[in-house]
Amino acid sequence: MNAFESIGAGARDMASNKARAVITTVGIVLGVASVVTVLSLMRGGEAQTQAFFEELGGLRELRITNTRTNRVFMTAAERASERLTYRDAQAILEECPSVSTVDPEITRWFDVSYRDHTYQMKVLGTNRHYPYADNMRVAEGRFISDADCDTYANVVMLGPTYKQDLFGDEDALGKIITIHGVPFTVVGVMEKKEFYFQGGGPGGDHNVLEWFNRSLYIPITTMVKRYTVSDRLGGLEISAKTVGLVPSLIDETRTVLLRRHGVEDFNIDSKSEQIEQQAEQAAFFNIVFWAVAFVSLFVGGVVIANIMLASITERIREIGVRMAIGAGSRDVFMQFLVEAIVVASAGGVVGLGLGVLMVGAVDSVLGMPTALTPGIMLIAFLTSIAVGIIFGLFPAVKAARLDPVEALRYE
Amino acid sequence: MLIRVEDLTKTYALGAAEVRALRGVTLGIERGEYVAIMGPSGSGKSTLMHIMGCLDTPTSGRYVLDENEVSALSGRALARVRNREIGFVFQNFNLLPRIDLVGNVALPLVYRGSLARAERRARATEQLERVGLGHRLGHRPNEISGGERQRASIARALVNEPSILLADEPTGNLDSKTGREIMSILDGLSREGKTVLLVTHDASVADHARRVVRIEDGAIASEDTH
Repeated sequence: MNAFESIGAGARDMASNKARAVITTVGIVLGVASVVTVLSLMRGGEAQTQAFFEELGGLRELRITNTRTNRVFMTAAERASERLTYRDAQAILEECPSVSTVDPEITRWFDVSYRDHTYQMKVLGTNRHYPYADNMRVAEGRFISDADCDTYANVVMLGPTYKQDLFGDEDALGKIITIHGVPFTVVGVMEKKEFYFQGGGPGGDHNVLEWFNRSLYIPITTMVKRYTVSDRLGGLEISAKTVGLVPSLIDETRTVLLRRHGVEDFNIDSKSEQIEQQAEQAAFFNIVFWAVAFVSLFVGGVVIANIMLASITERIREIGVRMAIGAGSRDVFMQFLVEAIVVASAGGVVGLGLGVLMVGAVDSVLGMPTALTPGIMLIAFLTSIAVGIIFGLFPAVKAARLDPVEALRYE
Repeated sequence: MLIRVEDLTKTYALGAAEVRALRGVTLGIERGEYVAIMGPSGSGKSTLMHIMGCLDTPTSGRYVLDENEVSALSGRALARVRNREIGFVFQNFNLLPRIDLVGNVALPLVYRGSLARAERRARATEQLERVGLGHRLGHRPNEISGGERQRASIARALVNEPSILLADEPTGNLDSKTGREIMSILDGLSREGKTVLLVTHDASVADHARRVVRIEDGAIASEDTH
């Protein structure tokens, strides 16, 4: 008897006892549906985290920050250090071979006026690298250039929300606005930047990147010369030429900054570290889902084994007859194993369907990010087959070991 | 000689006690013979039938079937012998309830392997027509009468063209008229040259055979030929 005939026999047997088939497969159905849901949630969460970091400039990016220091008990070296400055940024750009972009940042709030309207607005002094590092796009005009920085130009780029506040639908390019009493020419408007976390994650359903849109961008040199005098930076983001060069860039940057500061009063954080941390948290969270999936599958398997054993008892006579007309132990073993696999994989198919519905529900009702791929479907289906094999084994062995005379005599 | 049984014994352990079901049976059956093995229940005739049907193995003694030493065979080889050489007809028919008659009769061919499904169904249909069930092919066992069920099980026993037809109380669950019909089918098969072995406690059934072997207390008590 070959495998196809066994499958046919298993399917016919199941069809002829529908109530039993339903009861048998409930556990598998729930288990497989859980597996589909868990995997989709995991994949969806990963994809979303990935997308968020891509939107912030990708994995090539490093963020350098000043470490917190106790201002009362500073060491002499700490006191001597100027902390992160625009000159540090220039030094990194010149001395680190792995660096691609360096984007220093000094932020201040100023009164900004156009015609007779005045607003409090956030002004960022930065350089031409800024849009690349943070993956920003220009909607019209241009961004701050090297020439702007070299000439301390009074030019400004508008975030789209501020552009709307100042100009409404009016064309802004070439217009003059005053920042803290100094006239600046508008040279460009940024494209709107947005990212929404699905579900109850950080930010909820608002644009977590809106602060990009609520900024004015001017050359950092102009910022220092006109307003701050000090070139101490609020933040410094740099990026490596490739993801692979991130570790070397960390080393190079540390060397340059240590030499200039004389003390390690800075932190260098990579995005990939943040992603890993996030993934670890997600993995822990997913243990709960895995536990549900595992328990369902295990219970489903035990139910299959149990029903198979009951069905074997019910069919001892049948096994005897089959043996009498020429079935060997191997044929009987295969018949019952294949039946278990057919039952389990039928449950698997139904479970896939239920899983797809559950994923849809999780996505639309709970609003959590999900990603349902063919790979996930395949894994879940193979899981049901594996459960059929594992839990069908014992009943099949039991059936195959029956003594034909005893089995024929069984009432 | 088709069947040669020499000094066959079978002992069961029944709890602490030992039951000696066969105490040394020697018997030879030629090809084409029509033999009845008769005896009251508990005489050992069922045990003898199980061993000759390759469902069971003897505790000691030899069983040679068609020149092959069967008593030495493994479980798998025994299954092969049952499939190819022996056709069973049971008292309670033993058709599989969820399968139609063609499927039931084709089952020995399934275990034989190497035959396509269409070929198996064709041969099963042919056997069912031979026993007069050509109009019942798609019926399930519970949809037909007892006599028809027994005819179907004869068709199943014949489908692999076995050397021996082994019928264990073939009329035991039938009324006397239907029983006579079944016996006439077996008689006909014997006339066609089949080796038929009847196991029964019923003298009127045993009378159909040309040779009657009586078993009592695990041994052959007497033998008649007519």
